[in-house]
Amino acid sequence: MEKRPEVDPVEAKAEIFAYARRRGALAVGVADLDAIERIAPRGHRPTDLMPRVRSVVSIGVGGQTQGTWKVPAKAMAYFGSTETRAYSCSYALAFFIESRFQAPSVYCPPDLDNEEGPRVPLQSLKLHAELAGIGARSLAGDILLHPEFGYMYFASVFTELELPADEPLAENPCPAPSCVDMYRKQGRTPCMKFCPVQCLSGKIDDAGRQAEMHYDMAACAEMSEQYEAVPAVLAEAMAAGDETGRHDALFDPDHKMLWYKMSVGSGGLLAQCFECMRVCPVATRAELADPIRRARAQAGTGTGTGQ
Amino acid sequence: MTQRLTRAQLGVTDAMIAAFGETVFALSNNHQIRRGDPVRAKDFAAIEAHRHELGMGDAEIADRIGLTPAQVTLIRNLEERRRFRTGHYHMLNALGGGKRYRAERFVPFQDQFRFGEEALRLRAAFSFDPERVRSHVEQGWWRSDTLSGWLRRNARERPDGTALVDKRGTVSFSGLAARVAAIAAGLHHHGAVRPGDVVAVQLPNGREHVEILLAASALGAVTTTLYMTYRGAELEAQLHHSKARMLVAPDRIGDFSPARWLSTHRSELPSLAAVVIVGAEVPGTIPFERLAAGAPALPRDRREPTAADPFLLLYTSGTTSSPKGVPLNYHQMLTNARVGIEEHDIRAGDVVLSAAPFGHLYALYSVEMALGGGAAIALLPAFSPPALAEAVERLRPTHLFAGPAHLAACLGAGLVERMDLASLRLVVLSGAAVPPDLVHAFAPHLPNGRICQLWGMTELQAGLYTRTGDDVDVAARSAGRPSPGTQVRIADESGRALPPGEEGELQARGPSVFTGYFENPEATAGAFTPDGWFRSGDVARMDTGGNVTLTGRLKDVVNRGGVKYNPQEVELLIESLPAVHQCAIAPVPDESLGERACCYVVPRPGAVVTLDEICAFLLARGLAKFKLPERLEVLNELPLTATRKVIKARLRPSPTRLGPQPATPRQGREQTRDRSIQ
Repeated sequence: MEKRPEVDPVEAKAEIFAYARRRGALAVGVADLDAIERIAPRGHRPTDLMPRVRSVVSIGVGGQTQGTWKVPAKAMAYFGSTETRAYSCSYALAFFIESRFQAPSVYCPPDLDNEEGPRVPLQSLKLHAELAGIGARSLAGDILLHPEFGYMYFASVFTELELPADEPLAENPCPAPSCVDMYRKQGRTPCMKFCPVQCLSGKIDDAGRQAEMHYDMAACAEMSEQYEAVPAVLAEAMAAGDETGRHDALFDPDHKMLWYKMSVGSGGLLAQCFECMRVCPVATRAELADPIRRARAQAGTGTGTGQ
Repeated sequence: MTQRLTRAQLGVTDAMIAAFGETVFALSNNHQIRRGDPVRAKDFAAIEAHRHELGMGDAEIADRIGLTPAQVTLIRNLEERRRFRTGHYHMLNALGGGKRYRAERFVPFQDQFRFGEEALRLRAAFSFDPERVRSHVEQGWWRSDTLSGWLRRNARERPDGTALVDKRGTVSFSGLAARVAAIAAGLHHHGAVRPGDVVAVQLPNGREHVEILLAASALGAVTTTLYMTYRGAELEAQLHHSKARMLVAPDRIGDFSPARWLSTHRSELPSLAAVVIVGAEVPGTIPFERLAAGAPALPRDRREPTAADPFLLLYTSGTTSSPKGVPLNYHQMLTNARVGIEEHDIRAGDVVLSAAPFGHLYALYSVEMALGGGAAIALLPAFSPPALAEAVERLRPTHLFAGPAHLAACLGAGLVERMDLASLRLVVLSGAAVPPDLVHAFAPHLPNGRICQLWGMTELQAGLYTRTGDDVDVAARSAGRPSPGTQVRIADESGRALPPGEEGELQARGPSVFTGYFENPEATAGAFTPDGWFRSGDVARMDTGGNVTLTGRLKDVVNRGGVKYNPQEVELLIESLPAVHQCAIAPVPDESLGERACCYVVPRPGAVVTLDEICAFLLARGLAKFKLPERLEVLNELPLTATRKVIKARLRPSPTRLGPQPATPRQGREQTRDRSIQ
């Protein structure tokens, strides 16, 4: 077997980060593989997917634009396909590592675990990103937030290339000071208050840090992951007593929207909501969460990327 | 994973699902608790200590409860499916993307179009024939007009234009719109008025009446108007039947206090939730001005009323029976008003004055048209000849909507000759039979205007009117031709359309005709012919030019030995006698002829009326002998409806027998005339 060329891990890491940024990543980090291995449940560790993995590179791409957070349009309840930008970036990054450093790499699929069934992910991209220091768990159902970039979508690359790991964020941006104030007065943070299905609750300690986070994932899924809508419609049609009932079940205006959304690949009726993030001051108003401010910062200082 | 194995193959029974479903769901990651921030701190001990609280994997749950992982996966999936609800996107759609969820403001999708029980009963009265609806829409009669929409349009297009004018000054369209928005919010917040609820209004023709009408419209509520003359029994009957949720009334109407009366009758009106008083404050009621101040604005995304929504619940005047509730929607009313604007030549900047009270549909018709045409509504709170004369001179109306009695009173008081009527382009007469002599007497006093005669009913608003280009003779002798969209026919008892010149019942149909009385199926059934024409109950004939002359009421017919005639023309002739103030003719039973005509007369003060004089006068005017009244009752007053129509059912002759006429007639006594007319 042909031996890989010697690579300086620090230089390789810098090249990988630079490439990822060129492909649109706002933040890039390398997670502590040993920590992931200890924390992730059996069957969901990086070595379960790629036995010879040496490094986990996590990237974060920007979430919504400022305009998207602000518009009142009902159509914007779903923002649509933003996460695919993270996937395409990490997919390209895996190719880049292989071609540049001849190290086998895997674009970690953001998929469900075929072995364990629905609602169980293959890998926790959230755990990778958190340990890579590009996000910290929020009170909003553990959605990761970044102090500079706010709300992001994450993707990971597993590689046999040895890279120095980054540390998790030193401070958790959640809860923001204004959220602590609100919690002190009302007992709720904005994400808790404005969640349409009231799936969030929790406690903040005297120091203004997260003490407890309670997340009713089943309730959230009813709003944000209506994957059962399609079989529910079909079941309703099958259960209808007559031809008219079957026809109505399949072609009623709501369901016709569903077929449209599916046929054009829009997830509007399948994955949506984002209300907790819309009201999160970190997600929407972190220093560089705003693409407009970010562009101005980049133009002025040449900075604006993550670790 | 279950590897597509069936329940039976996995060994999962219904009993297992029932026993373990809740437990598996609770242990899974469907509900997660995280304590502190252990991952970021790499606090592996804490992570392990609380791992189970973040939710267990299926294998872990299986170990805990003694099932296989595949069994747990299947049971978890079934439990998730059992609990899963779809359709939550309606919540987001209702909220809109940029809004914040507020539980207290959120109205579930299925409740957004929910009306109160009483509002639904009212809506049920609109049973439109789908074919007619299609026809009205396709022909462009029914559009999307609403009263609040017309106000908004005026406020947008002519914000500084005059919307209201009265003794106090003027109100602009933008000012009126702002005030109406505030009052609508007050109705909702202080009065708990919801879309579809009925708001009862007993107010004079003042600013508050227009404001409350428009505010109720903006809120999607329904207005029922109460005549100012209504007191205890009439008030209670209409408030009860309409299920009014709110009453808006003055603090006093003469010596009558609606609020005081209600204080002892509230328990009999369970639907009535609030009373709003205009004027002095009354304990237990809401001051009108509080409605307009301080209430939070209505939500911007609330459902605006649509043209198909109920708008008015008006009551017939009840000349021949008890008042009947007539529900009307914007389509019916505003289609008719919209075409009326053009036919009556109402333009933006005009001034429309109604001498008739706003409690009457005729007056509301003028309000609708003023608003639709961008004209000002001139306000005359209470009619008297001097008040009308002053209003005409001060407010300079271009259009005057009046009843014949209003003009007759002004003429009788000698005011018309002294009035400056130059501003008037059109005077519309309606509400009662119009004496031709009145038209001819008034017309010469209009230097720049015309007279129009109009026939309408609560059930269809304006059905017939003469046009601005018609000769005065046409307006004097007829109610003109159908309003655009309305079809009329003169029909005999079998429903056969009669040719011009023949007398029969006036029947109508069209986009403004009502569909049925509110909770009165018997009256509704009797109101329409089998082929869908509304039976007006009025007797009329049509000339070859299509002009219709009203000759009386169907139920007023006198059947004298098989010869039937309608006494309206006789009444009008008798009322033209200088000694006669009012007259009504009704049949009295007769053993030989079946019926004979009895003439009930209210003489002018100091005047003496005799049957012989009346008959001589009628014969001199060419009346057929069989139409001569055969009995005379002299009364102090006639029983009248609130709209000043005679209630003939209450006319009863004094007990008597036919005999010679008393030598000295006195009021309250009868005179008879035994005639043998072949």
